[in-house]
Amino acid sequence: MRPLLTGASVAGLVAALTLGSAVAFGRPSGERAAAAPAGAPAPGIPGLQKRLREQPRDAAGWASLGIAYVEQARVTADPAYYPKAEEVLHRSLREAPGNDGALAGLGALAAARHDFHGALRYADRALKANPYAQRAAAVRVDALVELGRYGDALAAARRADAVRPGVPVFTRLAYVRELRGEVAEARRVLGLARASATDRGDLAYIAVQLGELAWNDGDLGRAGREYAEALRLSPGHLPALDGEARVRAARGDTAGALAVRAGIVKRLPLPQYVTEYGELLESAGRRDEAERQYAVATAWARIARAGGVDADLETALSESDHGDTGDALRAARAEYRRRCPGARVRQCSVHAADALAWALHVNGRDGEALRYARQATATGYRRASFRFHLGLIEMALGERAAARRDLAGSLRRNPAFSPLWAPRAKAALDELGGAS
Amino acid sequence: MPTLHPAGGTSRARVAALAAAAGLLCAGGFAGLAPRQGTASSHREAPLISGQPQYDNTDVYAFVSPDKPDTTTLIANFIPFQDPAGGPNFSKFARDARYDLNVDNDGDSLPDLTYRFRFHDRLKNANTFLYNTGPVTSLDDPDLNFTQTYDLTLVRRVGGQVRSTHTLAGNAPVAPSNVGKASMPDYARLRAQAVRPLGDGTTSFAGQADDPFFLDLRVFDLLYGANLKEVGNDTLSGYNVNTVALQIPTRHLVTGHDPVIGVNSTVSRLSASGAYAQVSRLGSPLVNEVVVPRGKKDAFNASTPWQDAQFAGFVTDPELPKLIEKIYKIPAPPGPRKDLVQAFLTGVPGLNQPAHVRPAELLRLNTSVRPAAKPDRLGVLGGDKAGFPNGRRLTDDVVDIELQAVEGELLGKKNDLGDAVNANDAGFGTSFPYVAQPHSGSDVRGARKPGTKAAGTAGRGDGGKVNFLNAGATESTSGGEDGTISLAPVAAAAGAGAFLLTGGLLWLRRRRPSAGRHES
Repeated sequence: MRPLLTGASVAGLVAALTLGSAVAFGRPSGERAAAAPAGAPAPGIPGLQKRLREQPRDAAGWASLGIAYVEQARVTADPAYYPKAEEVLHRSLREAPGNDGALAGLGALAAARHDFHGALRYADRALKANPYAQRAAAVRVDALVELGRYGDALAAARRADAVRPGVPVFTRLAYVRELRGEVAEARRVLGLARASATDRGDLAYIAVQLGELAWNDGDLGRAGREYAEALRLSPGHLPALDGEARVRAARGDTAGALAVRAGIVKRLPLPQYVTEYGELLESAGRRDEAERQYAVATAWARIARAGGVDADLETALSESDHGDTGDALRAARAEYRRRCPGARVRQCSVHAADALAWALHVNGRDGEALRYARQATATGYRRASFRFHLGLIEMALGERAAARRDLAGSLRRNPAFSPLWAPRAKAALDELGGAS
Repeated sequence: MPTLHPAGGTSRARVAALAAAAGLLCAGGFAGLAPRQGTASSHREAPLISGQPQYDNTDVYAFVSPDKPDTTTLIANFIPFQDPAGGPNFSKFARDARYDLNVDNDGDSLPDLTYRFRFHDRLKNANTFLYNTGPVTSLDDPDLNFTQTYDLTLVRRVGGQVRSTHTLAGNAPVAPSNVGKASMPDYARLRAQAVRPLGDGTTSFAGQADDPFFLDLRVFDLLYGANLKEVGNDTLSGYNVNTVALQIPTRHLVTGHDPVIGVNSTVSRLSASGAYAQVSRLGSPLVNEVVVPRGKKDAFNASTPWQDAQFAGFVTDPELPKLIEKIYKIPAPPGPRKDLVQAFLTGVPGLNQPAHVRPAELLRLNTSVRPAAKPDRLGVLGGDKAGFPNGRRLTDDVVDIELQAVEGELLGKKNDLGDAVNANDAGFGTSFPYVAQPHSGSDVRGARKPGTKAAGTAGRGDGGKVNFLNAGATESTSGGEDGTISLAPVAAAAGAGAFLLTGGLLWLRRRRPSAGRHES
């Protein structure tokens, strides 16, 4: 086993943390801080803070500020806003017990911290206090999605759409449709969201989602245009940069993709971005540099765990491919327990199921892995890597026909789904005799 | 090149740096920069807050047209707090909404006539994102790149069921946002071009306008015990709204011999399923805030007047005067408050109560009351029966009127409550659409406009003379022993229960967090 923390990777990690934190903490938001707070003329976080300094008994103001903090963390990926959000949301509840705004905010906060059961409980309480609450309905859909309860999520999203349509509901409705494989409907609803939105942050988010739909179908032209649109609306938008890097790499512009990815990890060296960067480097033959990136992801996860934070799905995937497979399996099992009611159900969080299937595979437990890989692909969600994982597991089990079908399927959907894994899918398919 | 190059330095320095990084992660017992909180494909974080003010109904007005007394003017405003320099594209009407002015002319609380505005976007040059590409001198100027048009339809109902639908106007122009003097050297001319006669005596207008509502939102800061010196500032001064306005021959609006109509405005928006959901509702000013408690506001916004019995208890036993009693020691008038039921739900007998009325929250106007030659800002309370709560004129000081009403003015319990803002910051027009010209993007926000009326507050800006409890008075009819109520205990007592007021009071007026109901 190679040493986990080489001097180089530690220094790299420190550099990443320092850079990342400096950028994330110090940067004034380029997007709106928050929606207009409850009618006060000065919108945004500074306006709310000012108001609350003058009116500390204002429960609705505290709730708005808490939600604005959660939203700010979403926009800037800066989790330093979470403890602040928690404090002010509880303050709101002390001022007005049971108010739905604060409950919805606590639900959003729980979801952001990946406590999806907690998010669901808060959302339900908020909706009981106010059945028309739009944010609470949005949080409820989010929680059900993350827990893999896609049928319930669709019902909740439709109900929210019936009582309070709008961008927050449309974007969620589209994602549920996408996860169920209903891509045309997802695209239509995102089109409604785009026609309805005026906020640049909203519009950038919508463009990225439309880009993802195109990407998952291998439509590089359309995906590239949507990511570019998101970047025009919100310069530096990280998910859009991530999409741009994918499209560039898929088109063979490795140098351009590397430059974009370097910029991303400089801004926010999260494991998923660091791993993507490493895989791109590895695919370009720069294995040593890639190893350093993988080590950063691993070190990151260790430090996070030491801080009482469980590894994320991305960490599980990254460890499966580039780190400690035992760690990967532990993380994947934990995530699966959180997001799936059990192995026997047909529907479950496709992301958790895929991560667990893959972690089992890299630990040589393909017999166990198969049912999770099937779970991950059962909803119709179009994700080439899920299909690729299923194909390799089938191959390892000697199910050659199924493996050929699924590997070919992954490449047919998006022939360049990953600079590192798409060529491996091709190689495996060739080994099986090609796509028939 | 890759960014994560190994950095130099001794191993001790590295250890220290790593410890610092770990400390950062664990700061405050909560991981600061932890992977779990990042954006992740496994956890798609969609917007929780969306900037969507276009569906927000702020005020409704209904009055007999002062210069054309055989017509009635209906006005509804939307999209609050438009900063004139804040980007005009943001201030457009929504394309996926129905903006309705509803009229009940038989007292059954069901709309008999609905005037429905629906808007469309027009972009002359898709290659630029500029609102205008040069000075704009007419509505069809090629330099006016982004425009909106609207279709106006009249929906007639009988017993709540749609009987017929007529198109009154198609592709009518919306007056543009007032970008600034360089772009629109003669804005008044542009707006005049957007006033459209429809052929049947009806005139229509849609476009930007100064926000005609005037009040000091900080009046409610006083209830918190905050700074007493800042009373008398029109919080909405300098902000614009979007207006839809109609001037309709009154004979088109009324039925039979009953001259009383009930008016409200609703906004419904298109859902993903293709149905429309009502997300905003407004009739009388402030009822949503003063009368309906916070937890019920979304339900109120989604409801129709026909369902208003569920809210009646909030009128007969209102929260506001009890809070004022608690904080200001002014005794709340005893309930049940039939006076408020008349003011808010049924209309006043002999003035604006329909013959067969079903109690409902509607702005009720007796169209047979002649316009006042010299309108009194206190309306009926000031002896001027052509004003609020008989309909609502742009100049009616509804904050003072409602505060005085809830404290028992209609019961003969004289008081002079007010917010010390007695007139709008911009002068209103003398002909349709009456609303003031929008503030220009080249104005400094909050600057006074020409034509501004005297505020009528002698002590405006002078904390020594004006206070919450006498601020609105034009005649001194205070119920106090000597006509004055000391402010000292007010500030001291204000903390207790003050938070409850945020739910009920004015600064929430603009918020209307709402939900809807299918209403196709």
